[in-house]
Amino acid sequence: MSDCKSIDPLITPYVDGDIDAAARLRVDDHVRRCAPCHSRVTAERAVRELMRVRRAEIAGGAASAALRARCLALRGGTAIGASRWRARVKPLAIAAGLVLAAGGVFIYEATDRSTRVLAAELTADHVKCFGVVNALFGANPDAAVIERAMASTFGWQMHVPQSSDGGLELVGARPCLYAKGMAAHLMYRHHGQPLSVFMLPQPALPRKSGNDTEMVDVLGHEAAVWSQDGRTFVLVAREPEPEMARVVSVVQAALH
Amino acid sequence: MTPAFEADALASLDSLYRTALRLTHRPADAEDLVQDTYLKAFRAADQFTPGTNLRAWLFTILHNTARNRARDFARDHVAVDSDAVERAMETNAEPGATPETLLLRDTLAPELQAAIDALPQAFREAVWLRDVEEFSYAEIAGMLQVPVGTVMSRISRGRRLLFDRLHHLRPAHV
Repeated sequence: MSDCKSIDPLITPYVDGDIDAAARLRVDDHVRRCAPCHSRVTAERAVRELMRVRRAEIAGGAASAALRARCLALRGGTAIGASRWRARVKPLAIAAGLVLAAGGVFIYEATDRSTRVLAAELTADHVKCFGVVNALFGANPDAAVIERAMASTFGWQMHVPQSSDGGLELVGARPCLYAKGMAAHLMYRHHGQPLSVFMLPQPALPRKSGNDTEMVDVLGHEAAVWSQDGRTFVLVAREPEPEMARVVSVVQAALH
Repeated sequence: MTPAFEADALASLDSLYRTALRLTHRPADAEDLVQDTYLKAFRAADQFTPGTNLRAWLFTILHNTARNRARDFARDHVAVDSDAVERAMETNAEPGATPETLLLRDTLAPELQAAIDALPQAFREAVWLRDVEEFSYAEIAGMLQVPVGTVMSRISRGRRLLFDRLHHLRPAHV
């Protein structure tokens, strides 16, 4: 007769029917003689059967239409347009606004699809992070404080758009959790609406050189992606295209 | 990334969400987790080997993402020290308790759901992936990055914990 210790690792596969014939015979023989192991088998089997019977009920709860839409929008080449998105998805708890993104470690290939993934990733980050403003620089930061933090945190000597630039109000900044914390996320309000700037340290989208800005419609936002001065910038916003273009130009000018 | 890949991947959305909900306990966090999972999956589509189990691959990304998020945000549902939990469980195991299969069958879904949610995370995810999502031991081991033996041990202990908790809910029937 096998002892309980040798039978122990066989109990669960025995209950699941995931065991070879010889091992099954060993367990059969043991549990006929061993009350504790028999009880264990019966208890596991009872729970497994309960889970099977109740599976449809406890596994209920499908993904929401909003989540489905967001995931659909992540597919390459089949993005949902902003207007259609807005019609289908209830407004986010955190109103999305402009996201000005600059810097970070781009590991994406320079394709239209990867630009979309990047834009979607940073837009999602914008939505999540806007509620965590002031995490790095404290309340009511000024551009000089952030510029010093950029230098000390990332080693970047750069100009940050001021609160007075183009109706922008600087409200906070933090390291972006994407790209292993090597992206900077600046958060503004633009005419009262949330706005973020991500900064990535390399021109990882080589096709987007100079001020050749690519607009991406993703996750209910507009995202502008461009490379400038050896870095890549992404701007995401819920703004009409003409206003997006205007704000992008303001930021590009301020970053020089 | 082909349209077929995208469609096949998105077919797992509901089950990924349900599992994410078991991991996070909060719908908003579960949605974030699933969205991040799809972002990573689509970005890494060329790393998926055609002919292998796409659903298991997605669940692996989901669990890796959950672990990374827990670490990044220092949330309270960081991966359980399963060895310590299992050692603690040894003292509570009562294999001699009389099981009542019919009694358990009478357990209502909300009671079962509450008991599952109350399990330590290491046991909850193992039992869930096996008994609800019906993955193999090897697939679960890949997702959770633990040996197959550990997977079986966690399933076993998780089931017994569930049994004990549900059994005690109905002392009048014992």
